[in-house]
Amino acid sequence: MSAALNETSADWEPLVVAFCCNWCSYAGGDLAGTSRMSYPANVKVIRVPCCGRMNPMFVLRAFQRGADGVLVAGCHPGDCHYSTGNYHGRRRLSAFKRLFEFAGFEPERFEVRWISSSEGDKFAEEMETMTAKIKALGPNRKMRDARWQSVTQSK
Amino acid sequence: MAERNTEQIEKIRDVVAQDLLSGRIDLLLGWEKGHYWWQSRPLFARSKKDLDKLVWDPFCAVNLSRYLPDELKIHSKVGVLVKGCDARAFNRLLQDHMVQRDRVVLYGLPCPGMLDYSRLAEEAGGNLVGLVEQNGRVILKTDSGEKEAERKDLLIEKCRDCLYPNPVVYDQMLFSPQGEKSAPERFKVVEELENLSAEERFAYWEKELSRCLRCYACRQACPYCSCRECFVEQENPRWQGRAYQTSENFMFHLVRAYHGAGRCIDCGECERACPVGIPLQELNRKLIKDINELYGDYEAGLDAELEPPLLTYRPDDPAAFSEK
Ligand code: SF4
Ligand code: SF4
Repeated sequence: MSAALNETSADWEPLVVAFCCNWCSYAGGDLAGTSRMSYPANVKVIRVPCCGRMNPMFVLRAFQRGADGVLVAGCHPGDCHYSTGNYHGRRRLSAFKRLFEFAGFEPERFEVRWISSSEGDKFAEEMETMTAKIKALGPNRKMRDARWQSVTQSK
Repeated sequence: MAERNTEQIEKIRDVVAQDLLSGRIDLLLGWEKGHYWWQSRPLFARSKKDLDKLVWDPFCAVNLSRYLPDELKIHSKVGVLVKGCDARAFNRLLQDHMVQRDRVVLYGLPCPGMLDYSRLAEEAGGNLVGLVEQNGRVILKTDSGEKEAERKDLLIEKCRDCLYPNPVVYDQMLFSPQGEKSAPERFKVVEELENLSAEERFAYWEKELSRCLRCYACRQACPYCSCRECFVEQENPRWQGRAYQTSENFMFHLVRAYHGAGRCIDCGECERACPVGIPLQELNRKLIKDINELYGDYEAGLDAELEPPLLTYRPDDPAAFSEK
């Protein structure tokens, strides 16, 4: 495990997992890259076909395996490649976010954003904001797999 | 012994015996006495003789509709006694295509609410040996005498806040309906928890869920858990780890509850089945409350024709996150 993830050190860096929809947000990330905008290396992007494909188990699993924050990004409502995927996603992810918070997790840990393929700047900005928020919040210890914890602690 | 409601039982027996004999149904799902007098368990009656065991008493809490998908694999037509919650469970299964309407005969039983043995025993004080019901009051008989209590104080948890004691779907209603009910305290615990800080809520759930044995009795009892293969048993990917740890407890409980989003009929069978008393219903009710607030009032199981809220959308839906 890299030193960046060592929670005991003062310069602890959070790990943010961003699930990005293939058609908008992932392309938005590409645009940020080709436009040479920078965003924190803390963000690890995972491409999904659509935010309607998001199974909340993906989110929980990311937290179990060491994520400190999870972001789901999809096309703006009305712009879904599959017409209605993000409309469904909006309902499902809203219900899940509320349940997740009800269980005692901080609201900032799990976010959803609409980022289009032309919004490279917004992509970089959202990744920046998310990383800063999680950094202020500190490491996720609530939903972390015990085996993962022992790995990081022994390093 | 609980006093038997002989008149009503006779009526149920007469009606279903005829249907069993005429071949209208091959099997009747009802209740019979369990090991203790304060337990009634499912009865699977295939003949008129089996019906001798049938009971209808204040302990028939088991939701019988849950047995339909399995029984319909081996019987062509099944009759089932339905209380309010069993009827809503039937609608749930119908919407999930787990049952076929024309292969099931529903006999409606307006439900007075079921009694909770632990509450009875506590109220009675001494060794409880039986009870008699009289106009909304219950007379508890112990070794040393009798004690009277209000019926509504002795109900099982799921019946206290039940809004629909009368079956909402049936082929034949056997008795006259119960009066209108209200449930002002249905979301009380959810609201109390919402008012706590995230840290306090986490501590609450971590402690409650730490008792979970992962026996999955909650799932077995649940009418929305009708998946042929549940995520907890999937091997590839193996979503649900076997380890005893907080993160695995949250994984199971958040996902189980979430699978009921917009589908849970609030029958409380999960919580009643749980051997360690985890307040599962509060997770389910949180989802019911939020979905109603965000996407309009919806009561799962009331009307099988209405589309569940998470299977549909409106372009101008609100979100629980910033959309800017
Ligand atoms: S917990 Fe989910 S996957 Fe398992 S049976 Fe219930 S609905 Fe299906
Ligand atoms: S019935 Fe109770 S102990 Fe068993 S899996 Fe469900 S919550 Fe856990």
